[in-house]
Amino acid sequence: MTNKYLMSLVFAWFSVCISFSAEEVPSDVLFARKIQPLFKVKCLTCHGDNPEKLKGDLDMRARAGLLKGGESEEPALIPGKAMASPLYLAVTRAHEADWSAMPPKENDKLSAEQIGYIKEWITAGAPWPDAKRVAVILKEADPWGETDGVMVKTSGGLDAGWTNRKYDPQKLWAYQPVSKPAVPAKGHPIDAFINARLPKGLAVAKRAGAVALIRRVTYNLTGLPPTPKETFEFVAAWEKDSKTAWMALIDRLLASPHYGEQMARHWLDVVRYADSAGFSNDYPRPHAWRYRDYVVRAFNTDKPYDQFVREQIAGDEMKPDDADHVIATGFLRMGPWEHTAMSVAAVTRQQYLDDVVNSVGVTFLANELRCAKCHDHKFDPIPTKDFYRMQAVFGSLSFQDRKLPWQKNENLTGIKTDRERYLRLQKTKAIRSITTLPEDDRPVQVFDRESEKIGHGKVNRKRQQQLNYQLKRSNPLAFSVANGANDRIHILKGGSIESPQAAVSPGVLSLFAGSEKAASVTMEKSGRRTELAQWIASKNNPLTARVIVNRVWQWHFGQAIAGNPNNFGGTGKQPTHPELLDWLAATFMEEGWSFKKLHRIILTSAAYQRAVAHPTPENMAELDPNKTSYAVFTPRRLTAEELRDAMLAVSGELNRALGGIPAHPEINEEVAMQPRHIMGSVGPAYQADPKPAQRNRRTLYAERIRTLADPMLEVFNKPGPDVSCERRETATIAPQAFTLMNSPINHARALAFAARLEKEKPNNLNLQIVRAFQLTFQRQPSPAEMKFCRDHIAKSLAHHQVTVPMKVESPKYVIRQMVEEMTGLDFWWVEDLDIYSGNEYEPDLKPWDAKPHARALAELCLVLFNSNEFVYIY
Amino acid sequence: MNRREFIYGVNGGLGALAFHSMLRAEETKGPLVPKVAHFPQAKAKRCIFLYMAGGPSHIDTFDPKPKLKELHLKKFQRQSKFLSAMGSGERYYVQSPFGFRKAGQSGIDLCEHWEHLADVADELCVYRGCQAESINHPTANYHMNTGNRFGGDPAIGSWVTYGLGSENQDLPGFVVLPEVAYPQGGAANWSNGYLPPHYQGTTLRAKGSPILDLHPPKGVTRGQQRSNLDLLAQLNQSHAAKRPGHKELSARMDSYELAYRMQMKVPGILDLGQEKETTREAYGLNEDRTKEFGRRLLLSRRLLERGVRFVQAYTAGWDSHDYLAKSHSERIRSVDRPIAALLKDLKERGMLEDTLVVWCGEFGRTPDNGRRGGGERLGRDHNKNAMPIFLAGGGVKKGHIIGATDEIGETATEVVHPIRDFHITLLRLLGLDDNKLTYFHGGRFKQLSQTGGELIKELIA
Repeated sequence: MTNKYLMSLVFAWFSVCISFSAEEVPSDVLFARKIQPLFKVKCLTCHGDNPEKLKGDLDMRARAGLLKGGESEEPALIPGKAMASPLYLAVTRAHEADWSAMPPKENDKLSAEQIGYIKEWITAGAPWPDAKRVAVILKEADPWGETDGVMVKTSGGLDAGWTNRKYDPQKLWAYQPVSKPAVPAKGHPIDAFINARLPKGLAVAKRAGAVALIRRVTYNLTGLPPTPKETFEFVAAWEKDSKTAWMALIDRLLASPHYGEQMARHWLDVVRYADSAGFSNDYPRPHAWRYRDYVVRAFNTDKPYDQFVREQIAGDEMKPDDADHVIATGFLRMGPWEHTAMSVAAVTRQQYLDDVVNSVGVTFLANELRCAKCHDHKFDPIPTKDFYRMQAVFGSLSFQDRKLPWQKNENLTGIKTDRERYLRLQKTKAIRSITTLPEDDRPVQVFDRESEKIGHGKVNRKRQQQLNYQLKRSNPLAFSVANGANDRIHILKGGSIESPQAAVSPGVLSLFAGSEKAASVTMEKSGRRTELAQWIASKNNPLTARVIVNRVWQWHFGQAIAGNPNNFGGTGKQPTHPELLDWLAATFMEEGWSFKKLHRIILTSAAYQRAVAHPTPENMAELDPNKTSYAVFTPRRLTAEELRDAMLAVSGELNRALGGIPAHPEINEEVAMQPRHIMGSVGPAYQADPKPAQRNRRTLYAERIRTLADPMLEVFNKPGPDVSCERRETATIAPQAFTLMNSPINHARALAFAARLEKEKPNNLNLQIVRAFQLTFQRQPSPAEMKFCRDHIAKSLAHHQVTVPMKVESPKYVIRQMVEEMTGLDFWWVEDLDIYSGNEYEPDLKPWDAKPHARALAELCLVLFNSNEFVYIY
Repeated sequence: MNRREFIYGVNGGLGALAFHSMLRAEETKGPLVPKVAHFPQAKAKRCIFLYMAGGPSHIDTFDPKPKLKELHLKKFQRQSKFLSAMGSGERYYVQSPFGFRKAGQSGIDLCEHWEHLADVADELCVYRGCQAESINHPTANYHMNTGNRFGGDPAIGSWVTYGLGSENQDLPGFVVLPEVAYPQGGAANWSNGYLPPHYQGTTLRAKGSPILDLHPPKGVTRGQQRSNLDLLAQLNQSHAAKRPGHKELSARMDSYELAYRMQMKVPGILDLGQEKETTREAYGLNEDRTKEFGRRLLLSRRLLERGVRFVQAYTAGWDSHDYLAKSHSERIRSVDRPIAALLKDLKERGMLEDTLVVWCGEFGRTPDNGRRGGGERLGRDHNKNAMPIFLAGGGVKKGHIIGATDEIGETATEVVHPIRDFHITLLRLLGLDDNKLTYFHGGRFKQLSQTGGELIKELIA
């Protein structure tokens, strides 16, 4: 494939002169141009596409069917008489007493114009020319010309109606070539574009203060709070020269290794990163972490985005000897997937192919390609053929856990001890009968021994299976792909593997090149993905740069320019600032697809540095109700990961090491100990890592098990890893208060924070409180706050001096119970917890090991962690 | 206004805040405020969904197949291009180990182990026509619960709560009562998906703290907690005073007060000791076999009574690949008494007529099995083409059997519908129109049935 067709990203704009006005259009032309395509999109799904299952027995494939009518036993169509034709009455949705509104979904209802065409056609006698005549009409000039949209040439739909249908040009915005718009005014280009669209009469907020800004941008670029020292130094520099100070701050943060971690977190939401495979067995993916760390490195080294794209889609083909190129292809396996004895191999293979095509479409092109799996895309110019042609690109792909030595840039900490532990566990009998417990500790005294025997066997087998997977972690393998046997890819009727139609050859989306041929890639087994990757990572692909700059914009402002970062099709939200989006996309490409340059451009704009308070809020509410003007900066709540990381940073416990095998932080103990159902048995209990430094890693590194979410992260809206997340939810729900206020894990953070304060400012309550405010809020307490806090600590101290904390040991074993499916009866077992009962285990500082003053101070720390000022960024 | 509405009205007044308090000032009434149904005349106002995880066998519960007696242990082989490892090879037909009888005046077919359910057979509407699309547990669970085999979409309980709100603003609108071990696929089975998180299924856990971190760690006194909350309120108030435009602040402050109230209230709701001994006995709380599920059903009734819109109660262990006779009889007996008690109890309280009761699993089971243990370990594999379902209560036909399967129970043959149609029907029974109950997400109006479908009119009275 060459790039030459990419240069001609031209739409087949119809530019036919209108030779007669629409009123004079012959009714057979009206049928061919308007009525038949309308029936196709709006009616035939239920009334024709599946002739054996016609809704209401009404067949709309031919005129005869309408004349006969459906189960009402009345004709649906009375030629010449629209007002007597149920077809017309139903689409008006105004005669529901007699004829239910059609199409049934409110969201699918016909436009007034479409209803008008139906009326006109019926009134004209409802002519129904045959397919031959329709084909002739469609070749003739279109009387509506461009007035009702433009055609887009593709490889062709399943029928001529789809192939020739027209689109509202506005809905095709994302498919048009990116051209760099002129900046409308002097100054920062972003501000010029934003000012140009600012509602008339709306003022903008003034620049935020230095403290707000360092807090905002430090969280934004690293996901961590600024330290008091960093804040102090920045404020001092700001007072001398705010512009220089700001530039220096941006440089420092972009050079921080934590920058890559924060950006990776965003990226991993889109690609559905997890350390396990999901579904029944939820098998570990012991080497997925190498992909996670590859993403962190890519951002930290400012890998050009076009290269980042190519490596993830085709790294193994392009440079099989380069470690990162191989690791990057883990992207192609990120989705949940499994094959079991219950599954049909061809079906699970097909599920994979459907998923990978959709994932490539969503991630890089912001198009849900699976919408074209069963039928030509309802809204966008993506024919079903293209979906399967793109699938053919992956037709030779096979999963491969490749041998790949550990790299110098990888963190190998813990791999050896991890291996030793799993080898030890393999030899240990980790589960035993409840009869090994003292009678008083047994949950039941009498139980079915046969159920126990069968049940224990299954639990042991599953346990071994999981251990074997975990053990693989110490082999240097990459979770990657290779080209293997070539599957012949067919169009599948209705998406069903049981109805293969014509075979297709590999290709990319045809809407840009305008034909199947021009959008084809090599037929060779190897090189298909390379060509797909090159087509995506090309300056001539209108989607790629737009999609990523739109995401990056959202990472900075909390809202995207085009409001559905995963859907740039006709149904996605239109960009609020299309010129700005194009300017950013064009500039991003000019600047070598550099993320860091893009961040600098955005962060130096006045829009990014605005305060959150508007000078005239009433005006703002009236002129910009949807808050899309960027007249103010929108505050945001910390994400789940930021919240946990920030607490660890403030308490002084955070281990800032980069990368490595998954970490196991403390999670809610009840959830950790709860049996996790996997394929007829349960998986091992979750245990945290033995040492605080291992547990208190950044949340990015916490093992992501698909069927075992950390409830604290989940409750703070961390999205599930099975579906690509374009934007996180931030709603406040009561369980967040339970977690943050009540969880023993957060109590431990608060106590560690108190211990830190005592250590840093010994025996001086005032300084301890000041330090606490600086660490959490980056400011000094007001005199009133100082008083509240002192009073609170005094009151708490009085309480703690007379209260001895109850000691709660970590469990050494857990008793579990489930129904044995072979007998239908319950069985129990004792699972020994090797980490909690081992000598290595070092718990966090707990109340019973702390003095009353630390415990009293910890009450304040807990409150600070719960406060709005801590969890919101302004 | 009936008595119950009156009581809820008072409760609602006490807690003007939603359980999941929504943070926009203009919506101070909260996302869970009761809403008018699309079909206000629909009888069912709330739903209890009894989920038999693992795939209960229709052939051994509600759909007798005498033909299998003739075929018992006859060998055959399936012919298809699309066979799983488990479906291929030598297969043997397996007769039901259970006897059947016709129960009630309506003559509902029940296997011999449905002892108590027979008393309320005339309330049941058994449906034999439903077909699943997935043959693996987690994907089939996701499908039955969310309409999407691959998970990630909102559960039916989330949709119903989104559509109808809840009658009690101090409790979640959608409550899930799982076993200690969650079903396959985990919590994604009651996820809110792309709907706002207020509609997520809240689990009242079978063991330990019913809601995670409902209470502070051991040793923290109520006084200390109250004092912390007061300091928090002080700090938050002075913070909010400086940021009048930031409306989320007050809502987040409210959520702490609401959480505190819930901490006080929830334990009382969970206290089954408040029920009469006869009631506890009826639900099977005094019997080992039935006490776990009985507890969940009695708790369900208490929640429904207090205005919770949708309760889902799980029980697992129906995946009888082997030892069908033993395991299915045990499973049936573990739910038989509690379910019968629930139906009677709802009826006595006048709640059955406006409560929809649903009983099903994720798929049915095959009339045949592979060679297992030389005829001793007879069981059945997964079958997506037929499954047992029954409905009862609000708006449902009473004492009916709808649909049919072929003579060996391999596939549904009459009134055949996919799960999406079943979903549409459940929504309709609750007064909701699947085509109107949509949510705009990712650039598309999405709905429970994914693409729309057909109402199963035969199930509706």
